[in-house]
Amino acid sequence: MKEHKLPVEADAAAAAPTASASAPRPAPPRAGVASAIGSRLAALLLGAACIAWTATPVLPGGLAKTALTVAIVAVTAGALRLATADIPQPEDAYFLPGYLQAWLTFLALLRTLAWEETAAVAILWLEIQHPLRPWHTAALGAGLLAYLLTTHIAESGADAGPLLRRQGRVLAAGACLLAVGAGFAMIPASAPGAGSAILRVLAAVAVIAAAALVLPG
Amino acid sequence: MSADLGASSQVRAEEVAVSWRPSRHARRLFTLAAAALLLAVLTRNAALAGVAGPPLLLLGMARAGAGGARAGAGRVSVRSPGRPDRVSVRIGLTATRVYEGEPAAVDVRVQDGAGQDTAAPPSALPASATVPAGRPGPAERDDHLDARHGARWTLEPGKGIEPGSATAVNGPAARFTFAASRWGKRALGTVTLTLHDRWRLAEGRVTFTLPSVDCYPSPAVQRTAVVLSKLPNRLGEHRARVPGDGTEFMGVREFVPGDRQRAINWPASTRRGRLQVNTFAAERSQDVVLLVDATSDVGKPGESALDLGLRGAAGAARAYLDARDRVGVITYQWGGAHWLAPSLGRRQVYKIIDVLLTADTGYARGAVFSRLPRAALPPGSLVVAFSPLLDGRFVEALRDMRERGVALIVVDVLTADPPARRLFADVAARRIWRMEQDAIRFSLRELGVPVLPWDGVTALDLPLAPYTRRPLMARR
Repeated sequence: MKEHKLPVEADAAAAAPTASASAPRPAPPRAGVASAIGSRLAALLLGAACIAWTATPVLPGGLAKTALTVAIVAVTAGALRLATADIPQPEDAYFLPGYLQAWLTFLALLRTLAWEETAAVAILWLEIQHPLRPWHTAALGAGLLAYLLTTHIAESGADAGPLLRRQGRVLAAGACLLAVGAGFAMIPASAPGAGSAILRVLAAVAVIAAAALVLPG
Repeated sequence: MSADLGASSQVRAEEVAVSWRPSRHARRLFTLAAAALLLAVLTRNAALAGVAGPPLLLLGMARAGAGGARAGAGRVSVRSPGRPDRVSVRIGLTATRVYEGEPAAVDVRVQDGAGQDTAAPPSALPASATVPAGRPGPAERDDHLDARHGARWTLEPGKGIEPGSATAVNGPAARFTFAASRWGKRALGTVTLTLHDRWRLAEGRVTFTLPSVDCYPSPAVQRTAVVLSKLPNRLGEHRARVPGDGTEFMGVREFVPGDRQRAINWPASTRRGRLQVNTFAAERSQDVVLLVDATSDVGKPGESALDLGLRGAAGAARAYLDARDRVGVITYQWGGAHWLAPSLGRRQVYKIIDVLLTADTGYARGAVFSRLPRAALPPGSLVVAFSPLLDGRFVEALRDMRERGVALIVVDVLTADPPARRLFADVAARRIWRMEQDAIRFSLRELGVPVLPWDGVTALDLPLAPYTRRPLMARR
């Protein structure tokens, strides 16, 4: 039934050559959930890794279990939000059947709440339930930062390579700050002597490295 | 699908202000930093303060970068190079008129407010500078723009618009393919352009309303035509019953002075002993008026009676105009009747479809056909009506036309039934309704009006077949 194609309007045809010179590349066919699956899966895995990292060893306390539950729910919901990001919200849902309206409400809930922030706070809360473990906490900080960065890459569709190259120096400086924090946290625990001195020197080196990396020039 | 849609033509170019605000990523980093710092103070754990370090560093760098850019920009330009205050967006369409389900594409492209791609590094290309040989031109620097500002386009399709490609695309230019599922004037929706700063912690959003397209009903397939037995004396392509100057052989008669010699039939002349000449049928055209009943629109959207009526009328208009007939249209609706006088030519197809697009159902006073001017319904014309025959006044109008001697064919486009329910009253009502519909069709057939059911899927030639094989007799 569609064997004839309407002619393009005359004014449109006149303007066509200028437009054709810089015709944009067509978007790839709609892939739905499958599009950008790599970064979305990476975000989910990083979130799960952060939870596993901070939850072990499992604590029996009620607060710890609550924080663990909240973290799991938040990371799962964040991953679901990323997975369903391509599903459009219809303009008019009034005439849709009940199950579709429930699905759309669920999608709206996923997109409204701040799941990643909730997950980060819950994971930090879970971490402080454990006894002091500075290097473990520093690694968790790096993992959380990677989780948030990957989530941003997944939801914005940004190219990860150039983005990380541009922010590489600042991220390296941030790693130094993590090391400084972990070092300072270990100092009171160490007995006076050579170990403490080495830690102090390491902390000072980290601060200097961070400053050198961050300062423009 | 989008590759063969061709180049687009620019339909709009506008310069708009960009409003910058912290991105979602920035809010997340801030939350992480604030929570880590708070917990570090509460628990006196320096490692948690270290966790707050990287996000704070990123936030600080972004703030310093934006402040520096603004301070630097204040000396030479009003706008900030890292975060353009104004951008120019060009919107193009591959077609402004499409048929139902026909793919088309909308192209969007962003440039900075000064008319250059925002990809151009501000320090590297001042306003007065010319592009040296070998340096990439604005179109070639698209990747830079993507890298610097991370431009992202997100399409929010309008009602009745089905996206045929990804609805979110990164880059300074994007093409979104779409198809309109149902006829009418369709708003394509909106496109949101999101720009990011270098650190992706601030984002600028601009939302554009895309132009509308006219979606024409997809014409039904009709290759044959119903031809009246009595045709007006106008040159055309249909074989008439009277002799004339056509090409189709009609018979043999005796030669009279004035006949052309080349028309002499020598075998017949030899047999009869007197000169015989061939006679040919005249070739005439007819007036066809398509009557579309828009008073009732029942059935599923996309397969409703009105959808089928418009598709059938569009297909019939094209078939008769291809046969060099004069075709007009009347849409009968509650607000009155819209009409277009019969005429010839390819342009008439689009005029007819434009009239069909104005068809709308809704309550108002009914139209009366006697008020239609003679030009809308010329005497001796063939009327093809597309109707579900649900409106009593329309049926009365058909009867009236038939009694006035108009040659009439009704294509029944009713494909929906009332919902089937178990209650006795509902079953009885459904049965009565069906009997009433049968009675309406029977009464029209008794008047000599063919009522041909059409499901909208098969070609129109199928129901019309009994009337396309021989001329239709127009009887009073």
